[in-house]
Formats: sequence, C-alpha cells, structure tokens
Amino acid sequence: MSAEAAERAWDELTLSPAEYRRAGARYRQRRSVRAYLFVVPYLVPFLAFLVVPLFWSIWLSFNQGGLLDSAKFIGLKNWRVIGADTELTTSIKNTAIYAAEAIFLVFTLALFLALLLNRYRRGSNFYKLALYVPLLAPAVLVGLIWQFVTNYDFGLINVALVHLGIGRVNIFGNGTSALLAIVGAEVWRGLGFWTLYFLASLQNIPEELLDAARVDGARGFQRFRRVTVPLLRPMLLFAVVIAIIANFQVFDTVYVLTQGGPYLSTSTLVWFIWKRLFAFQQTGQGYAAAVLLLAIILVLTAVSFWLLGSRRRRRTREA
Amino acid sequence: MAAPGAIAEVTEAHADYARAARRNRLLGFGKGVAAYVVLTVFAAIALIPFVYLLSPSFRKSYELLTFPPQWIPHSLYTGNFHHVLHGTSYPRWALNTLIFAGSVTAVTLVIDTLAGYAFARLRFPGRSLIFALVIATLMIPTAAVVAPLYIMISRLPGWTHSGVNTYPGLILPMVCSPLGVFMMRQFISTLPEALVEAARLDGAGEWQIFRKIVLPLMKPAIVVLGIFTFMFQWVNFLWPLVITTTDNMKTLTVGIASLQGQFVTDWGVISAASVMTIFPMIVVFLIFQRWFVQASMAGALKQ
Repeated sequence: MSAEAAERAWDELTLSPAEYRRAGARYRQRRSVRAYLFVVPYLVPFLAFLVVPLFWSIWLSFNQGGLLDSAKFIGLKNWRVIGADTELTTSIKNTAIYAAEAIFLVFTLALFLALLLNRYRRGSNFYKLALYVPLLAPAVLVGLIWQFVTNYDFGLINVALVHLGIGRVNIFGNGTSALLAIVGAEVWRGLGFWTLYFLASLQNIPEELLDAARVDGARGFQRFRRVTVPLLRPMLLFAVVIAIIANFQVFDTVYVLTQGGPYLSTSTLVWFIWKRLFAFQQTGQGYAAAVLLLAIILVLTAVSFWLLGSRRRRRTREA
Repeated sequence: MAAPGAIAEVTEAHADYARAARRNRLLGFGKGVAAYVVLTVFAAIALIPFVYLLSPSFRKSYELLTFPPQWIPHSLYTGNFHHVLHGTSYPRWALNTLIFAGSVTAVTLVIDTLAGYAFARLRFPGRSLIFALVIATLMIPTAAVVAPLYIMISRLPGWTHSGVNTYPGLILPMVCSPLGVFMMRQFISTLPEALVEAARLDGAGEWQIFRKIVLPLMKPAIVVLGIFTFMFQWVNFLWPLVITTTDNMKTLTVGIASLQGQFVTDWGVISAASVMTIFPMIVVFLIFQRWFVQASMAGALKQ
C-alpha cells in the first residue's frame, strides 16, 4: 500500500474534531435516553403520587373544602384559625409527650436487652425471635390485642389487680394513663426492632477497643460508660431522630384504643388531621395541620441526613 | 532453696487466688442466671399476649366477663371462628390484603430496581437533582399528602366512577416509596463497577447488562425489599381506611378495626379474627426469619 493510500484510509477511520464532538453528543444523547427509560417507570408514580401531592398539600392549606366539592381559596385564614386552635396545640403536645415517653422507654429497655444479648450469646437466637414477633402484627391489631391487656373488664392488668386485692382501674378513664396505654402498645411492638438494631450496632464496636480497656483495668460499667457509649452515640442520635419521625405519625393505635379521648387527651397530630379531613368538615384546618406535619418530617429528615453525614465525615477524618 | 516462710506465703497467695477465682466464677454464674431470667421475662412479655389471645377466641364472648377468668376453656367453642368466616367479610378482606400488598410489592420491585440501577450506574442529565428529590421525600408520611391523594383518586380521569373502592385506587398511590429506590441504589453501588464495564466493552447493551449481570447479583436485595414492602403494606391502615368505604373493599387492618362496635364489641370475634390474621404470619416469619430481620433493619430509615 502506498503512503498516500494509507493516509486516506486513516482519514476515513479517524474523525475530525467536529465529527468527534457530534458523535460524542449523539452517544451521550442515546445514553441519556436509555437511562431515562430505566428511571421513567418509577418517576411517573413518584411525581404523580408524591411530589405533586406534596405541593398540592401546601396549596390546599390556603383553601377550604375540596374533598367532596371543589376547593375554595381563602388565603391565610386556615393558618390564622389553627394558630388559635387549642385542639391542634393539644394534639401536638400529646404527640410530643407520647413520642418522648415511647422513645425513652423503648430505647432504655432495648439497649439493656441488646447489652445482655451481646454478652450472653447462648440461646440468643430464641430471644431475638421472640422479641421480634410483635412486630409482625399491624399496629391496628396490636391496639386490639392491647385491649386484652388493658380492658376494664377482662384485661390482664385488671385481672391481676383484682387478684392482688387492689381493685380495677379504668386505664382509659384518664388522659395520662390512656396515653400511657398507647405508649405501652408502641413499646411492646417496637422493643424487638430496637433491640436488634442496637445489638447490630454493639456488634459493630471493634472488640480490640474493649479488650484494650479491659487490659487497662476498666471494669464492666466503666467500659460501657467510657468505650461503648461514646462509640454508640452517633448511631443513637440517628436512631432517636428516626424514632421521632416514626412516632410523630402515631394513628392506628389511637384509632382502635381511644379515638382521641377522653377529652382530646390522646388526640395526636395525625389523628387531628384525619378527623378534620374525613369528617369532611373544617377540612381547611386539616390541610394546614398536614403541612405542619410535612414541615416537621422534612426538618427531621434533614437532621437525620446531617447526622449520617457527620458520622461519615468523622470516619474519613480518622482514616 | 527458698525459706519455709516464703513457701507458706506462696501457698497462701495461691489459696487467695483460688478463692477469688471461685468467687468471680460464682458471681459470673449469678449474673448469667439473672441475665437469662430478664431475657426470659421480656420474651414472655412479647409472646404472652398472643397466647392470651387464643383463650377468648375459643370461648363465648360473655365468658370473658366472668371472674375469676377461665383461662383454659371448658370445651373448644369454635363459634367465633365460624362467625368470622361466615358472618363477616373476612375472607374477602384477606384476599384484598393479598392483592393490595402483593401488587404494591410486585410493582415496587420492578420499578425500584430499574430506577436504582439508573441512579447508581447510568449517567443522564438531572440525575443528582432527581435523586436529591427522592432523598428529600424519603420519609414523607401518607398522612401529610393524604388529602391530595384522595382528591386525585376520587376523581381519576377515564373512570366512569371514581377510584374510591377500586383496586387501582388502593394500589397506585402506594407504589412510589422513595425508600426502595434508595435501598436499591445503595446496594447496586456496592457491586463492582468493573463487571459492568467489562460487559460494556464486550458490546452488551444497557438492558443486557442490567438483565444478565446486575439482576442476578441483586437477588438478596430484591428479597429484602420485597419482604419489607409487603410488610409495610400489610400493616398499612390509614390509606385503606380513607380510600375504602364498602365492606367488600376493606383490607384486613381496616376490616378488623371495623369489628370494634360503637357500643357493643364482640371480643370473642375480634380475638378469633386476630388469631386468624397473626398466626399464619408468624408461621411465614419462622420459615423466612433470616430475611425478615434483614428487611426490617434495611428499613431502619423508615420505621
């Protein structure tokens, strides 16, 4: 082959910069289209049933009606009304108390059980399974099962109290104990989950650190206080935020156990939203409360990701 | 040759040591016993309500009110179960629950795996923006968007009647959980990129790579997401409560809750329905326990 022919062949094989750019653009375009084909099946329901309703929810908070008829724009009126609505403030206060009680109880017990299971491994599989079982029941069923524990006439607690000669107590007769009954249902259902969660975190703690502390003469509680707790702290903070998010949505157990009573003492934020919306009256306040819930959850989500991020940042700094 | 005194000292030290070791062993043994007692108590607390539930389900409802309570029924009364099966729409609720949770799970698995793959491995404009949106909405509860969802579904276009009390109305709004996409993306990110690159160099198309290389490796993640999604819908209450009004379209959670009467509640029937609902689930759990635990840990972000 002559040199000239070779050069011609080379020219045909290679692309000029402009051609190269065009081919690249074509390739990228085709690649993007293919990628979109993978995303679109998810993106359509995601936009339709989550993103759009999210903004719609905010828009609705400036409206009245709309569930059975068409919505009517009323400006800031809903927000002014719910600002002075004691039922809403009570509901939010109840939700906060409920969440604080439930998280404190379930975390203390779960951490304790996780420490035991981490130390005593023999037969721990049975205990893990047993603790997990309540999680299989829907919260609604947990509420109904809880009736067999708390009911005035035949609940386990009252039967035991009568046997002890103390006499029955009407657990759902006063606000504090009624809310505690709902807390109890949640603690009972959630204990297994959090125990396994903490157990997994405990098993992530490097054995060497605890051994080193032991060699240095640290006793059991000291090791827990000075090694385990500091190492668990980031995970604990994250768990608390997640638990707040979950517990702020309490509804099912309220629905079957108390219906918000007595006198709103167990009315929670989601209960308030549901009651206002689906009694089909005063829907405007329901819309506004839903936006409030949305804001709370979004802020907490941001906090949880910030916590995850700071943990990762610390880890990379140490590495 | 050591002095006799020194030998005595050593023997004494030995005895001291042996005594301390015995005491430690005893103390350790005592602690161990205490630990297992505590664990057993909590295991019992977790399980006893389920066992206790069996008792009223086999007794006549008015017997619940006798005192002292009769834990073990005289004879097995099966009337409650008979009533649940024939006097209520329980079989239909169970079927609805299976259709609802099953469909949501099936659709979720398909669309979340595809999208998760795209977010992890494919490049397209707007990828990080869309993914940020997914992350931001990760934990939005149904309650916060329930009103617009209801409005949408109750006026679904193209329906001669509204989407209330229909399967699509029940299922569709629940298929877009961002958590599944997030889980899938995280999982696919951990797969070695070299595999995908090698297949691409061998001339495989994106679809082929996904189908032949990525999908087989994703089996564990798919099982975990499947169980997680099914469990999440199986316990779902708020959305079915809002979108179903006829007895025939209720799911188990809504149906059983509706058995609780305004004034009189037949607790025998409720306990029978609960037993029928929860015990099959426990059996399934015992068979697939390993996967269940993994699934609920993966869902730590949501629950």
